[in-house]
Amino acid sequence: MRSLRLPAALAALTLAVTACAGGGGGNGEGSGEYPRNETLYTTGTAWGPPANWNPFMQGQYAVGTVGLAYEPLFLFDPNTSEYVPWLAESHSWPEENVHEIVLREGITWSDGEAFDSADVVSTLEIGQFGSVPFSNLWNFIEGVEAVDAQTVRVTFSENRPQEWMNWVYSHPIAPEHIWAEKTEEQVMSDVNEDPVGTGPYVYESHTDERLVWERKDDWWGTDALDYEMKPRYIVDLVNASNDITLGMLQQGEVDLSNNFLPGIDQIINGNEAITSYYDGPPYMQAANTAWLVPNTTKEPLNDPEFRQALAHSIDMQSIIEGPYTNLVEAASPTGLLPLWDEYIDHDLVAEEGFSFNADRAVEILEDAGYQDQDGDGYVETPDGDPIALTLEVPAGWTDWMEASNVIASNAQAVGINVEAQTPEFDLLVDNRNSGEFDLVINNERGASNTPWTYYDYLFQLPLNEQQTTVNFGRYENEEAWELVEQLAAVPADDVEAAAEITSQIQEIQLAELPAIPLWYNGMWSQANNTYWTNWPSDAEGAPKSYATLWNGMWQLGAITTLATIEPAGE
Amino acid sequence: MWRYIGRKLFVYLLTFVIAVTINWMIPRFMPGDPVRSMLSRASVGNPEALERMNEYYTGVFGLDTPLHEQYLSFWAGLFRGDLGISVMLFPQPVLDIILRSVPYTLALLVPAILLSWIVGNRIGAFAARKKLLDNTILPVGYILTAMPYMWLALLLAWSLGIVADVLPTANGYSPSLRPEFSWLFISSLISHWFLPFLSMFIVALGGWAIGMRNMIIYELEADYSNYLQALGAPTRLIRRYAFRNAMLPQITGLAVQLGTVLSGALLTEIVFNYPGLGTLILQALNNRDFFVLQGTFLFVVVGVLIANFIIDIVYVLVDPRTRVQMTGGAA
Amino acid sequence: MSEIAGAPGAADPAGGPEPTTTERKTSEVLHFAVRNPKLLIGLGIVLSLLLLGIFGPFFIDQDPNEYVGPKSQPPNGEYWFGTTSFGQDVWAQFVYGLRSTFLIGAFGGGVAFVIGTTVGFVAGYKGGIVDEILNMLTNVVLVLPALVVLIVITAYLEVRGVFIQGVFIGLTSWPWAARAVRSQALSLATRDYVDLARLSGRRTWRIITTEIAPNMSSYLVMSFILLFGGSILIAAGLDFIGLGPSNGVSLGLMLESAMKWSSLYLGMWWWFIPPGLGITMIVGSLYILNVGLDEVFNPKLREL
Repeated sequence: MRSLRLPAALAALTLAVTACAGGGGGNGEGSGEYPRNETLYTTGTAWGPPANWNPFMQGQYAVGTVGLAYEPLFLFDPNTSEYVPWLAESHSWPEENVHEIVLREGITWSDGEAFDSADVVSTLEIGQFGSVPFSNLWNFIEGVEAVDAQTVRVTFSENRPQEWMNWVYSHPIAPEHIWAEKTEEQVMSDVNEDPVGTGPYVYESHTDERLVWERKDDWWGTDALDYEMKPRYIVDLVNASNDITLGMLQQGEVDLSNNFLPGIDQIINGNEAITSYYDGPPYMQAANTAWLVPNTTKEPLNDPEFRQALAHSIDMQSIIEGPYTNLVEAASPTGLLPLWDEYIDHDLVAEEGFSFNADRAVEILEDAGYQDQDGDGYVETPDGDPIALTLEVPAGWTDWMEASNVIASNAQAVGINVEAQTPEFDLLVDNRNSGEFDLVINNERGASNTPWTYYDYLFQLPLNEQQTTVNFGRYENEEAWELVEQLAAVPADDVEAAAEITSQIQEIQLAELPAIPLWYNGMWSQANNTYWTNWPSDAEGAPKSYATLWNGMWQLGAITTLATIEPAGE
Repeated sequence: MWRYIGRKLFVYLLTFVIAVTINWMIPRFMPGDPVRSMLSRASVGNPEALERMNEYYTGVFGLDTPLHEQYLSFWAGLFRGDLGISVMLFPQPVLDIILRSVPYTLALLVPAILLSWIVGNRIGAFAARKKLLDNTILPVGYILTAMPYMWLALLLAWSLGIVADVLPTANGYSPSLRPEFSWLFISSLISHWFLPFLSMFIVALGGWAIGMRNMIIYELEADYSNYLQALGAPTRLIRRYAFRNAMLPQITGLAVQLGTVLSGALLTEIVFNYPGLGTLILQALNNRDFFVLQGTFLFVVVGVLIANFIIDIVYVLVDPRTRVQMTGGAA
Repeated sequence: MSEIAGAPGAADPAGGPEPTTTERKTSEVLHFAVRNPKLLIGLGIVLSLLLLGIFGPFFIDQDPNEYVGPKSQPPNGEYWFGTTSFGQDVWAQFVYGLRSTFLIGAFGGGVAFVIGTTVGFVAGYKGGIVDEILNMLTNVVLVLPALVVLIVITAYLEVRGVFIQGVFIGLTSWPWAARAVRSQALSLATRDYVDLARLSGRRTWRIITTEIAPNMSSYLVMSFILLFGGSILIAAGLDFIGLGPSNGVSLGLMLESAMKWSSLYLGMWWWFIPPGLGITMIVGSLYILNVGLDEVFNPKLREL
């Protein structure tokens, strides 16, 4: 068909031209290809195109904005539970309510200006704008002053060191010479393309599909910390479907994926190049706890005995082996992550903790007066009212949908009528926040420097009309909340004192079960070793840091992973 | 002829007005609060920022003004080229986001439609000649048109991309490249374009082949063919007439098929994560970004209308009879 | 996806069928029908899949989404189509999926058929200003790309079910049927026997149902078949994007989850091939069945 040649040629031409026009120009560097052995390809963190690089727009900024470009004063190392000096050199508490931080010398911003104590003061002062996420700090901070160019002194009106240290390691410092001038409106809406930070990487370019960071070779940490960042470029791809991500990972187009990839266990076992933190189940480190949150204002979920029975009915193993194919682990009955092991009262857990035991669940129900009086196979309340509960998980969250089906059928097996439902996400959020639900699954608090963040999540009082971030189950226990407040006031490094309080909290928690811990969601992280090796793992001699680009994890030491990985073939 | 074109233009204008009206109505008359449901998906941690976005979007929807005013200001915004601001890419204008995706979708659609039309017509005309050929091509053609676009795309991605490992199966170009005008980049574009193109081309091909085959058979049974045959005209000549006459309905068919092929392109893009409008729609859905979704809808409708109009003009140019016919009144 | 280019019956330039004595016609049609391989093969496949969809689920004890067996098993004696990565039985999902696929085809196609033929008949028979308006409406809906309209509408729905999906598909895919029916009705409306009926003072609706419709019944059947197939394809597309019925089972949803759970890269071909094959077989044989019908009803095509 001779006549086809012309259209085919035309088509190819149009395509090339239109696509190039749409793609935008390069950045002027000679070669158009990122050198493979100097570039780290990552994916799994960004769920939408990169939109802003504003360190104050928490939850919205592009991958690496905080961590690669902006840095905090300290890191928190979850392995040693210690604060690692970062932009700061040291710190001390001259008085109980005064925190003094000494900054490193010789750090410069990426535009050449020197980094000093004025930057720290101005960053904290920006928090006085009501819409800045950490504005609540000013409820207990009295004042911030720059003692000299390298020293900052923070005075507190109320002692909340656990909460304060949480800010110190998780929030970055922004340059005064750029941010101090801005209005509240500007601070909270600035896209801030080409961010000026102190960090080891600078913005290189972005499209709707990816974001590229380039190494800053004169980064202060190379000398001061002896950390040499290995990848010259970091290319973070916006999440595609699981299918495509898995393909790119296997073919070596992506070096690190931080996304839940069902079936990855088969690949890890079958493909030598693909590794994760552990060789076998659960393969991943724990990142946060998935809780089954009961609405404690509703009958019969307001009855701790009933919650106990429900907790005993759940066969966690079948969830772990089923939808998760052994990629997660069952949570401790306290729900605390493994990194908080010191805070768990193991004797208490052995005695009071629940575990899967259907017979025991039936027993508890019977003892508490829940019986099947009308013979429909489900128990009624002691007053004889029928029980029909719904368990809601967001539509499309397939792993949770599958898990909720297991939970529902487990509960039904002991006579508790639970039905799994999958409303749209926003509808579920509405129901959850306004307290119009029976049971939901939630995992909105993750690893941090202190279990206080978890107890704040479980027990925070007073209750509001809308519970938007904590205590979704509307559990009211003044005594427990009082203990949590005490925990907040414990000095940040006094683990023993903290553990004493957490043990008391756990006594209440295990008896009352304000929420039922289910499993630890993984720090999904799977690496291809073709181009980069020495990924963190539990093997001897391997780095133990997190291998992830998730927001908030850089400050927990993930940034050091970039210095410990090695290019393959060297 | 002018009357014909004027009439068509009127229909298209009307369609546009209706599409805009649907677009305006959906978020306002569907149950639920669109602003809140959008923002709840936006994963904005802090309540103040949420409030600010909330204010903006409520303002955009103009939910506090009377309905007819909302409607008029919606149109006014449209004429300024303002499709609103994206939620997932706040604060980027929706139009910019869409314009970045359009080239990719066009690069798939235009070649796939034109090439499948040309090749399909040839094959169809060829098939109508011999019974044996007809009996094989016809079922194959029907099976191809019956295939869901995304399924063929999955099959090709699996067989050529994964098992044979000869072509890339995802993205618009290799992530290791900077977009620039170089042979390296263009060849990457082409190799990533090929599989999505091929799968659309194949599905569309079947429809055209069958259409042409049927048309020719009808034409060959028409009175003029029988007459020519009776006169002893050579078969070749009769077939040529038949082919020419059958082309005209195929051009109209092109217009009718646009919507279908376009839908196919959207689904195919999703399978290949090809950065066009289909992938954009999926992202907008996942992020509940209704502004991008509705902007894309309007954009697609306008595109289809323009394409239809072009086809109409081509039709008029190719077939002088239309003038006579159209003044007769039947559409 | 309802408009199949130049599909048989969609653009029939051969003119309306002649009214003939019903009895003779029936036997003649039957005579050719049983001898038409396209008709027989197409009908055979459609019917066997339909029967499988109707009766198959009765032989499956468990819920199709339940985890019943070992995970990621290729097809074997116990699990004929293998299992998903959760241990769901693909065969069970397929059989249930067939049922809902036929359901959405019948329902969506049915709605479109009712709207399309009504608009077509009224426009064709009444003519004049009614025709003008209806024709305009038809053209407008015809140009709107159905799937995109459906995506925008269903995205706003909080609860999605098969019923609502069918209604919306019907509402967007009727126009070409209306067009085709209109042109047929237009030619029949001027026939003598219709004039006669009109003179005798019968109501419009009765004339349409007793005089016009029966004389193009073959044509109507074929239109319905095409609408049926079109609805299935549109529904599959919606399901695939994730806008399908919540908590349902369908062939489109199977494709969606196969893709979502990486069956391609895990090499689990048995997960994504059956649903697509099922859709292709149903719709494909419907089309082939339609060609067969066309040949049976249209004497001119029989010689070929």
